[in-house]
Amino acid sequence: MNDQPHNPSSLTRQGMDYGETADVHEVHAAIQREKREPRVGLEPLSIWLIAVYGLAIFTGGAYLGRYSGNFSGDGLDPLMGPPPAKKTAGGLAGGEQQVELSPRDRGKKIFSANCQTCHQANGQGVPGQYPPLAGSEFTTGGSRRPAMIVMKGLQGPVKVKGQQYGTAVMQPWDKTLTDQKIADVLTYERSEWGNQASPVTADQIATLRKELASHPESYTEPDILAVPADTELPGEASAGGAQPPKPGEAAKPAPPKPRG
Amino acid sequence: MTPATGISLKEPTISGAAADAEQLERARIDASTRVPVLMFYASAMVWLLIGTLLAGFVSFKLHAPDWMADVSFLTWGRLRPVHMNIMVYGWASMAAMGTAIWLMARLCRTTLRHPLLIVTGIWFWNIGVLIGVVAILMGYSTGYQWLEFPPYAALVLFVAYALIMSWAVLMFRFRRGNQIYITQWYLLGAFLWFPWLYAAAQAMLFVAPVQGVLQAAVGWWYGNNLLFLWFGTIALGTAYYMIPKVIGRPVYSYHLATIGFWTYALFSSWTGMQRLVDGPFPAWMITASIAATILTIIPVATVGLNHHMTMQGYFPVMRYSPTLRFTVFGAMSYTVFSVVGILISLRSTARYVHFTEATIAYSHMGFYAFFTMIIFGSMYYIVPRLVGREWRYATLIKLHFWASAYGVGLMSLMLLAGGFVQGSSEQSPSMPFIESAASVLPYLRGRTLAALLLTISHFIFAFHFGLMLFGLGRTSTVPTFLNPVEAEGSESPL
Amino acid sequence: MKGLLPLFLGLFGTFAFSWVGLTVIPNMQIGALNPQMDEEGTDIYPMPKSGMAERGRRIYAANGCIYCHSQQVRPDYVSADLDRTRDAGPSPRPKWAGRRSAPRDYIFDRPVQLGQERMGPDLADIAKAAPGEEESPATVPAGTAPAASPAAPQSPAPRANVAATKPGVSAPPTTLPALQATGANPSPTPSPNGVPPAYSAAWHHRHLYSPRSMSPDNLDSTMPAYKFLYEKHQISGEPSANALQLTGPDAPPPGWEIVPSYDAKCLVAYLMSLHQSHPLKEVRSAGGAAPVPAASPPATPAGSPPPAPAKK
Repeated sequence: MNDQPHNPSSLTRQGMDYGETADVHEVHAAIQREKREPRVGLEPLSIWLIAVYGLAIFTGGAYLGRYSGNFSGDGLDPLMGPPPAKKTAGGLAGGEQQVELSPRDRGKKIFSANCQTCHQANGQGVPGQYPPLAGSEFTTGGSRRPAMIVMKGLQGPVKVKGQQYGTAVMQPWDKTLTDQKIADVLTYERSEWGNQASPVTADQIATLRKELASHPESYTEPDILAVPADTELPGEASAGGAQPPKPGEAAKPAPPKPRG
Repeated sequence: MTPATGISLKEPTISGAAADAEQLERARIDASTRVPVLMFYASAMVWLLIGTLLAGFVSFKLHAPDWMADVSFLTWGRLRPVHMNIMVYGWASMAAMGTAIWLMARLCRTTLRHPLLIVTGIWFWNIGVLIGVVAILMGYSTGYQWLEFPPYAALVLFVAYALIMSWAVLMFRFRRGNQIYITQWYLLGAFLWFPWLYAAAQAMLFVAPVQGVLQAAVGWWYGNNLLFLWFGTIALGTAYYMIPKVIGRPVYSYHLATIGFWTYALFSSWTGMQRLVDGPFPAWMITASIAATILTIIPVATVGLNHHMTMQGYFPVMRYSPTLRFTVFGAMSYTVFSVVGILISLRSTARYVHFTEATIAYSHMGFYAFFTMIIFGSMYYIVPRLVGREWRYATLIKLHFWASAYGVGLMSLMLLAGGFVQGSSEQSPSMPFIESAASVLPYLRGRTLAALLLTISHFIFAFHFGLMLFGLGRTSTVPTFLNPVEAEGSESPL
Repeated sequence: MKGLLPLFLGLFGTFAFSWVGLTVIPNMQIGALNPQMDEEGTDIYPMPKSGMAERGRRIYAANGCIYCHSQQVRPDYVSADLDRTRDAGPSPRPKWAGRRSAPRDYIFDRPVQLGQERMGPDLADIAKAAPGEEESPATVPAGTAPAASPAAPQSPAPRANVAATKPGVSAPPTTLPALQATGANPSPTPSPNGVPPAYSAAWHHRHLYSPRSMSPDNLDSTMPAYKFLYEKHQISGEPSANALQLTGPDAPPPGWEIVPSYDAKCLVAYLMSLHQSHPLKEVRSAGGAAPVPAASPPATPAGSPPPAPAKK
């Protein structure tokens, strides 16, 4: 790290005398024997070299094209590209992404996680305690009634399919499930176990949520029965102006399928 | 010596007056660069010795971990980054800057004004490296490879660099002559790219840190570009000066030089991400780097061809000239190192080589076999012109060369082979991991042997350099040839 | 080449091209990731680590652990990382990881410790290998940062219950080696040689102190011993709760004990917080296992804690 001090006397000790004399013989031998500074020739490029360039560019480019995972930020796998953007339920080839699920499938998962404990996986419920959903007039009629029940819950005695239930309380789900989830689970229930009722969309639930915003208590059977059996929720929310359907007024007539 | 092309190689005779003036100018330039460049070299030599001893420790402790294990500042995990940083910022950067300043002064044909600024810069740089090293040993390493110095040490390095390189660039501004020679492109590139690189890395890691895995990406972008855009450019620029200068022949082709330079800058700067292959990154980043590595065959072939054709017919001169021997070894190593780099970067081979010692082999081939050997060659050329003496013992030069060549060759072979063995055994899950790690131990012992060779080599060189520094070289008009020159018919190669 | 300006522009342009392409564009793509959470806003992964674990990360970085240990798991189509099991512990040994690593795993890591070499095994998911009731000490000491590590989705209450029923432990232990030291550990099969259960906190302490003493198979390990992270005290009265259990040549002389320093505790806290087994939507779990949410389902009352270790 340290250098010897640099002073003129050390120069003369070494016999150097730089730059202060025109006498070239004082310039030391190493410089005297030096060749001139480098310069450049002008040979043309060889065709073989250009062939090498072409091969390299081709190989590099092909490699880049093949293994780039679609140049996306999600494409961790060089061969397969990114998980595709969320589309409507479509099958898609492998990759590292869960298969896109249909609303029914999503609803089934929600049902299994939340509803199955009481209403059972086969939708038959438990006699005396939990009403069935399979073939239930509440589930399969207009979408408004089951939506109200799921949103706000139900308590007190209720008669479903001619049987009396009433010892249990159904909790409201509007705080714990999103619109999409409620819609999906209703879609599932309304098309499973032989039920054939129309699906429900998240927009419909959203509209209903706004309408019921000031209705805190859970429903009882008379509340539900006050709504005609075939009342559907208003269709695809063309936001804004949709007035919530009043009881007795069907915004979207659907063929009533009363059961039981 | 007339090669097959029939182009006359005799120097065109320059008029006596011009020759005198030219030599006088060179003498003046050398006088002005004398103190800074010798200080650079002296500092670099000290760091080289310390770094080499540490290299021996690090290599030894990797297969004999209980040796001196109980002291916190001697633990392997701290010595290794200290070794790396001393070699990169202490030895390599300082030697590179010394050579680069001398080359720039000579090529710009202007004296170095205000050398005191550069001397101050050298002190700051040394202090910065020392602060960083002590910080790592005391347990304040940042944890990023190649950037383990804490930010306060980096700041000192920045200040030092500003002092040093602003004058180097200014020399370029005041150059004489119209043409900008090849070496000057490379050196100018290096002078500008290094601060941009370092600043960008410090900014993206410490000032406004990027999130998550991007830190590793920035770190390897920096580390890789450090090797190619800072060290590699100075090495190639030096080779482009030394080879034609020593043999007295023009560089073969200007077009090759141009293409070589720009493709080198373009493609080499995009490599680096292949160090993160199969990691948690978007695949395109990794593949882009691998593709760029494939494309570096273009500058490698171009530069290699240029040098080879320049040397055509003059290879025997390597027998005599230390400078040429070291420089050509380094230039050839550039080709070998690049080809090895391409081969181990491809995804199909990377799976066997990733996470193994083979990447260390690659790094050392680049830093040592390519960069350091060329710098050694430049030191053998420049130091006599600064101290006015010739190298004293040809035997020591030969020992230096062969110990270095065998040392780095042995190391590269051992680590590449060991890396493949380790990587292959890691691919079979039925083998316990400890066995796959243990399979590389024999190769690590071989690497320690190589480290011993390199230690011997560097101490010999340091001793020899010390002799020169203290004015104990040979006083002679004839340079130190590695082997006696046959008297007749051949003009003096130097 | 004539002309300074084209030269300068060229130099700047090539550099800027590389800088933008390899750092800026990836930053735009993956530079602002958020933790994954499900729609209820629970089950957040990843979570920032607690104070001790963050300090442990800095100690990990400062001592160069990254130069031998990686923390990234490669996918199954290029490596055997997902098939490989850990070297220690009773059979069946835990796997290195359940899935490959993704950028989202590292968003709270600074510095990120991906690692370049494997002289030692990968550590991305090392905490998963810990025996069940061993939990990150980061959640246990009071007064450290409140963010819970992903290792502790269950409430700490069951832990305290489990601990309190053990004989000989009067107060909740402050570090997990305490559980080991009291010998009150329901985990099966204590290893020969008195080595604590594999990959527990006590195991990590002993491994850091003396790597080659872990079991007969570990003699080939080249890991350095981090004895300087531990302190040697004279035993005053009772042995400390977190004294290392050492045998053979490593054991301290009678009347002395080896205890971890604060740095060692933080380092082990960090190691015990290294999880990457939580499923991520963008990464396929090995074997296509359905994602298992770590959070307990809502509205189930906390019953008596299950005595068996929860299998992650």
